[in-house]
Amino acid sequence: MIEPAKTAPTVPTKREIPRWRRRLARSPLAIAGFIFIGIFVLVAAFAPLISPYSPVEQNLRGTYVPPMRVELRGPEGQSGLWVREVTRTPLGQVELGQELYPIKFFVRGEPWVWWGGLLQSDLHLFGVDGPIKFYLLGSDEQGRDILSRLAHGAWISLSIGLIAVSIGLLIGVPVGLVSGYFGGTFDLIAQRIVEVMLSFPGILLAIVLVATLGTGLTNVMIAVGIAAIPVYARLVRGSVLSLRDREYVEASRALGNRDSRIMLRHILPNALSPIIVQSSLQMAVAILFAAGLGFLGLGARPPEPEWGLMLARGREYLATAPHVATFPGLAIMFVALGFNLLGDALRDALDPRALR
Amino acid sequence: MATYIARRLLTVIPTLLGVLLAVFLMVRLAPGDPAQLLAGEFATPETLADIRQRFGLDQPWYTQLGLYTLNVFQGDLGESVRTRQPVTHELADYFPNTLRLTLGAMLVALLIGVPAGIIAAIRPGTIFDLLAMLGALIGVSMPVFWFGLMAILIFSVQLGWFPVAGTGTLWHLILPAITLGTGTAAILARMTRSAMLEVLSQDYIRTARAKGVAGRVVVFKHALRNALIPVVTITGLQFGGLLEGAVITETVFAWPGIGQLLVGSILARDYPVVQGAVLLIAVAFILINLVVDLLYGAIDPRIRYD
Repeated sequence: MIEPAKTAPTVPTKREIPRWRRRLARSPLAIAGFIFIGIFVLVAAFAPLISPYSPVEQNLRGTYVPPMRVELRGPEGQSGLWVREVTRTPLGQVELGQELYPIKFFVRGEPWVWWGGLLQSDLHLFGVDGPIKFYLLGSDEQGRDILSRLAHGAWISLSIGLIAVSIGLLIGVPVGLVSGYFGGTFDLIAQRIVEVMLSFPGILLAIVLVATLGTGLTNVMIAVGIAAIPVYARLVRGSVLSLRDREYVEASRALGNRDSRIMLRHILPNALSPIIVQSSLQMAVAILFAAGLGFLGLGARPPEPEWGLMLARGREYLATAPHVATFPGLAIMFVALGFNLLGDALRDALDPRALR
Repeated sequence: MATYIARRLLTVIPTLLGVLLAVFLMVRLAPGDPAQLLAGEFATPETLADIRQRFGLDQPWYTQLGLYTLNVFQGDLGESVRTRQPVTHELADYFPNTLRLTLGAMLVALLIGVPAGIIAAIRPGTIFDLLAMLGALIGVSMPVFWFGLMAILIFSVQLGWFPVAGTGTLWHLILPAITLGTGTAAILARMTRSAMLEVLSQDYIRTARAKGVAGRVVVFKHALRNALIPVVTITGLQFGGLLEGAVITETVFAWPGIGQLLVGSILARDYPVVQGAVLLIAVAFILINLVVDLLYGAIDPRIRYD
């Protein structure tokens, strides 16, 4: 019996996945980074759904409550999740209530409005069925729920990061591009300004700007964004200098293309990898800077649930209520770690010299 | 070489003047009357008039800038609003503490970072490498202030090994130095690792191994000495990073250094001290970078400036 001849292997019609993306998907560190960032973005996007209470709701009966213990057996031995009321005596001792109350998922509670009114509901991911409050991560000096504050703080951190990085990109990249491509007087002046800005190491530039502009979240975003400008300007200028005399640029110029077209169509796309890597790392820097400013009392103002500010408040009661300072710090660390992991993995994946 | 040094020194001048201009603009661009900012909230009309006169605030801006520059070069940075002391005295009081903290932190960073980087590079891809590099990434991601608070919580409050805050003895220095040095240790570890990996792949290392030199000698004598050149540079440049971190670390540990002075002055709107502290940190940073740049040629004889 003669088998029908197999057809020659054809070129797969599916578009091939770029090599850098395959490399990224294989890197465990990149995956870890993606997971951290993914959780962060989800929490920020659905903060009021995840938080059982409002981030500013006070409860003077329940200040400095440590993270509550969840019990797996109810009063009559039923399974499920149960909690007791925890209060502080006037002397600061933690007192446990007798009664057990069940924890329920997807409960109706306080109504909330999010995304500027696009999202409205009174649904919460979980809550306690009873006349007590459930503090999964404990409460702060005004009896506010730390979990709810952390979730809303994620939104603040995400906005600061995105806005600050956008300011850095929108100003730094064009400046670096023009500076590197044309050189001359503009380059000279721009580079002097960049040098002066870089003379204020790291967070100091943001501190100087906040000292001038005043504190508050908006000014923090602007200050951290401006602090990112010289980083991008220098980075892009360096790439452009190495690209501007390449033959394909020469060819494009010989064809009569305008400088703006050469810059945007030929040079910028080839300088994109370091910009992408830097943007991931810069998100971590921006979030750390903003939290640092908040911690120093130069950033967000109370009662804003900003992570750095929460940490600063917790510092005063470190010995009696260490959880107040612990959780915001962990949140900052995991988010910064996520962006650093991703940035590192992107650098390895986009680097054409890295052979694996 | 001499011309290079001269040229490099000359390039510092516009940067220094730019920094001076930035510090000058800080007070002029801040909302409010500059005289009020420099004199303090509770200044009498006489003090205000005196300040206006001294800084030429009733004159055009270029006269003000000239006057300010002149004053700075004569060592007059104004008076603190809070203490009425000359700003230069305040800076002289606080700066040595920052220097002590920074040096301690650098020692910590070198002792942790360089060995970690070497170990990671000798055994790339192993669990040591992964742990060292993951530790380094956590080190750069950890907020300094949180690390400091956790160190206080564990080692001072719970174990009682170290004082909670303050200064005086070497004991007081240990926790702040570790707190400040950890981030730099992370950076040094990554730098040492990549420099070592680069050197270890060179032909002369293969030659050394081929002719039967012991592994340890190859690593420490042939590779490390060459890998240390970029590490030394980064170490120098990281001093600037430490100055930045000191601002936060000093606040955490109530360490009376320039950073704490700066933050306290911003919160109290003591603008003359803010200006002085910012100027001092920036100038120190510029000078450190200059020295590192010049030393680079001395460390690596292959570098020739022409």
